[in-house]
Amino acid sequence: MSQLGIGKMAWRNLWRNPRRTLVTIGTMTVALTALVTFAGLMRGMQTALERNVVDLETGDVQIFEKGYEEKPSLYVRIADPDALLRKLDQAGYPATARLRASGLAAAGASSAGALLVGIDVARDRRVSRVWREVADGTWLDPADAKGVVIGRRLAKSLGLRPGGEILLLTNAADGSMANELYRVRGVLRSMGEVIDRGGVFMNAGTWRQLLVVPDGAHQIIVRRPAGVDLATARATVAKIAPDYDVKSWVQLLPTLANILETQRGSMVLIDLIVYAAVAIVLLNAMMMAVFERIRELGVLKAVGMKPGSVFALVAVEGLWQTAVAVTVGLALAAPLLYYLVHHGINISSLAGASVQGVAYNSEWHAEIDRSTFAGPITMLIFAVGIALAFPALKAARLQPVDAMHYR
Amino acid sequence: MRIRSFALSLVLVPLLAAPLLAAAPGTPEFARALLQKVDDMYRGEQSHGVMEMEVKTRHWTRSMSLESWSKGKEYSLVRILEPKKDRGTATLKDRHDLFTYLNNTGRTVKISGAMMGGSWMGSHFTNDDLVHESRFSEDFDIKQLPDDKLDGVPVYRIEITPKPNRPIVWGKIEILVRISDQQPLKDTYFDEDKKPVRELALSDFKNIGGRNLPTVMTMRPLDGSGEYTKVTWKELSFDVKLDPSFFSVRNLTSR
Repeated sequence: MSQLGIGKMAWRNLWRNPRRTLVTIGTMTVALTALVTFAGLMRGMQTALERNVVDLETGDVQIFEKGYEEKPSLYVRIADPDALLRKLDQAGYPATARLRASGLAAAGASSAGALLVGIDVARDRRVSRVWREVADGTWLDPADAKGVVIGRRLAKSLGLRPGGEILLLTNAADGSMANELYRVRGVLRSMGEVIDRGGVFMNAGTWRQLLVVPDGAHQIIVRRPAGVDLATARATVAKIAPDYDVKSWVQLLPTLANILETQRGSMVLIDLIVYAAVAIVLLNAMMMAVFERIRELGVLKAVGMKPGSVFALVAVEGLWQTAVAVTVGLALAAPLLYYLVHHGINISSLAGASVQGVAYNSEWHAEIDRSTFAGPITMLIFAVGIALAFPALKAARLQPVDAMHYR
Repeated sequence: MRIRSFALSLVLVPLLAAPLLAAAPGTPEFARALLQKVDDMYRGEQSHGVMEMEVKTRHWTRSMSLESWSKGKEYSLVRILEPKKDRGTATLKDRHDLFTYLNNTGRTVKISGAMMGGSWMGSHFTNDDLVHESRFSEDFDIKQLPDDKLDGVPVYRIEITPKPNRPIVWGKIEILVRISDQQPLKDTYFDEDKKPVRELALSDFKNIGGRNLPTVMTMRPLDGSGEYTKVTWKELSFDVKLDPSFFSVRNLTSR
């Protein structure tokens, strides 16, 4: 009997008990649709988190003066940031230098701890997306020396809105008590714990004047060019800045990187659990199909069907169902994912919530690539293979005489 | 007695000469009485004076002249006279609250929790040193250690350890008290791992208004940095009458 014959026969066999077949296919379809969609959503969340961290906070790679990262200090600075920036520009790595200091921000009768960040407005734009994250008001303008942009929760705790007056107080590098009044230009969206609670962005020149720091910078944030992976980018930057601490964002935020890694692992685990259940359903259905037809299978063998062909017959019945499930599952998942990729789920009720100090977006979009589909499908086929092996073997090894007398 | 304001209280209201204590040295009562005595000395004391504060860090050295008023340990007002740039900047302590008036911006800031651990006027004292109040008897276990010598001077050694669950950042504080006149000479502050982190030394005892008082106080972080803050009394008098209303936010800004 030809292979084609087996395929046709298996297909017909399925519809001898349509209800059972449909339940089995249905189970696989639902599982596959759910897992593919879930994979897309998880990937979307991970990418968004990672992008938020990289775009808003860390960049891909950072350069510090040695020792700064362990113990940040106003006095530990990269002496000549411009030279490094020039070299990074030449290498095609967008980069910007930032100044950082802690202090106190006050308005009216309230005060709160603040992180004062001095930036080069034009350069920073090429590296960080902060400038686009102003919820209320406008971003910094190099022409407006007294204008600052502050974090969301800081604005709330000080009762400040754009146009409001903010007092910044800190110890300057010369030991004097620096205190100046500034005007709030903008209030940021939720960006992550540290910036939300105390971030104050200001022009580098303004910062230098307040803190009495004429030169140097605390931090250089670097982005990698498209197509360069993170490890390579870090190594390249380390070569450009050999006398400094050079860290990738994964090294800067190991806990977050770990969480993302663990999430990926737990996805596989969830796939395994769901497919184990699917495999049991399939195993049960195929076992029943085999036991119902023991005498018939015995006759097939008696008229000369080889054990391999019997094995194939049962296996193909299972594979047919899988094929239908995959087709229908993908047909269902595709529009669902299309919607989730383009429209997303509104989770603004969670806005302001953060994972490891990193903000969620207010919309949760799915993201897909080949692995979103390949992963769940491959694992399904693997589970089906295991589930089919037993009934197919059972059928293949039937003794014709015993089988025909089976009741 | 308030332990952490101990440091600044000494600046703001120097110790009076100690009367002899009744309890025998070595007993817990003696150690307690020794420390209690200091507290009692402040009660109702009013002062007015001028001090110089020298702050040395790895990166800069700065000298300031400060005028100070105080009433007991509840109220104090310290105003910068020099340098010119900071003249008028002042700190007001009104019981548990701390306010800073900034001459440059003409604003008054209430120092909140976040800044309490921060430096007071750029010195090695923290804002918390000014306002934090702990009571010996309630918050600390007191123990007298074997007598010792400090630069050849015989001293009592008293160790105080915070009782559990008290809002005190120190693991323990060791206080050296000169045996001859029961004047405290040095406090060493230990962190929670019992490592010494900073040290306050009192010296240059002088007779002021018939009282023997330390006129120099030096706070050093024990991190090997060589940094310190040294406060020296230039003028000091106790014959002033100050109303609690003198220590108001309004008065803080009025000069």
